[in-house]
Amino acid sequence: MNALTRILNSPVGRKVTMAVSGLLLLGFLVAHLTGNMLILVSKETFNHYGHTLISNPMIYLAEAGLLGLFVMHFTTGLYLTRKNRAARPQAYERNERAGYASRKTLASTTMIFSGLVVLVFVPLHIWGFKFGAYYESAEPGVRDLHRLVIETFQQPAWVIWYVAVMTIVGFHLWHGFGSGFESLGLSYRKGLRRFGQFLAVVIAGGFLLIPVLIYMIGDKL
Amino acid sequence: MSEMTFNLRVWRQANSESSGRLVDYTAERISEHMSFLEMLDIVNDKIILEGDDPIAYDFDCREGICGSCGIVINGVPHGPNPGTTSCQLFMRHFKADETITIEPWRAKSFPLIKDLVVDRSSFDRIIATGGYISCNTGAAPEANNTPIPKDIADEAFDAAACIGCGACVAACKNASAVLFVGAKLQHLALMPQGQAERDRRALRMVDQMEAEGFGACSNEGECEAVCPKEISTKHIARLNRDYMRAAVKQALRP
Repeated sequence: MNALTRILNSPVGRKVTMAVSGLLLLGFLVAHLTGNMLILVSKETFNHYGHTLISNPMIYLAEAGLLGLFVMHFTTGLYLTRKNRAARPQAYERNERAGYASRKTLASTTMIFSGLVVLVFVPLHIWGFKFGAYYESAEPGVRDLHRLVIETFQQPAWVIWYVAVMTIVGFHLWHGFGSGFESLGLSYRKGLRRFGQFLAVVIAGGFLLIPVLIYMIGDKL
Repeated sequence: MSEMTFNLRVWRQANSESSGRLVDYTAERISEHMSFLEMLDIVNDKIILEGDDPIAYDFDCREGICGSCGIVINGVPHGPNPGTTSCQLFMRHFKADETITIEPWRAKSFPLIKDLVVDRSSFDRIIATGGYISCNTGAAPEANNTPIPKDIADEAFDAAACIGCGACVAACKNASAVLFVGAKLQHLALMPQGQAERDRRALRMVDQMEAEGFGACSNEGECEAVCPKEISTKHIARLNRDYMRAAVKQALRP
């Protein structure tokens, strides 16, 4: 146990914790987005999908795992940020980007802020949908989550909030994916970073497309 | 030969206890062929003639290989040119009448001594924990007895080019030293001679880096961009791998 604490509490171990939890959470986002896309198929498909998910007893294990990863990611992130700031007590009077080989971007310098937005967003999101209004569908025992989603995204305020947060998530992933692989010592290659940026656009774009589509043509879905 | 004038804003601080501030100076009659440090010498000559305390800054070889010089010029360590130390940066890279801001490396682990001079002995203490090969290797062997592929030899040499100037720490938003430690680990870890102590070296040097108060890596690559020897961040990825491998091996040891 002592050796494990030592590994996790080392400067490399903390970054590995960030990378592993972050990349697994990104994997969850891919699954979540794929599920969401079913709303574009049909009302029944979407509601059945939701019903299948929550009626499987393994869901509690999966939820506990996700919560664990989420807590691990943000507590380590907050701790690292505090420590990193302490490493430079006095700021530069003038600080510029070096250019050339540097990959510093708006995304990479704002990871803690984009992360904090997600930290606020996730509880609100779960409260709004998972613990939101319960409508019974035509089939007894099956929740009509479709109706709740459509009702929510016909309110412009929710659409704006979701579009804004998903854009910020995209920024977080833009740097996070490639950075995670570098922290794991698996790859420092340009191609993998580019793939991460592509993934960030696809995931953020996919998530924000749904509220926008519902707002525009919700009555047809 | 054209002569130029520059407006300097230089960080002046008497010692680590006192508070510092940017002081304005005018650098007059500067040749475009002068190095950045020669320009500072001209300014200092004038300050000394006026009976004031000259600007303190570090230098030794002035040919870009010792790692002594290091100042943040216009917000970038070692100034605007890639692969260049402050002493090898020439005034032709600046526009006449430009305002140039000059600051020291800023990091908790590099305490300020005076003006632009910082104490980089934290780097020495990291090296002292394992940045060497301590096993007896006997007399110099015939070089070709140990075959090393050319690409590996090149990569080890690239890492060995680190002069320990500290620009990587100065450029990093977290004041992290992983590029320095990565280079100092990998120039040995890539070689057969470095294998015997590879794990111990990685564990000790990374632990000492943490003890010295350097930050963690955010994988932004600012360090590589300012490094006068253009050392690649691939050595950071390798440091992570080596450290985790060594730590897991140590944890599993019966």
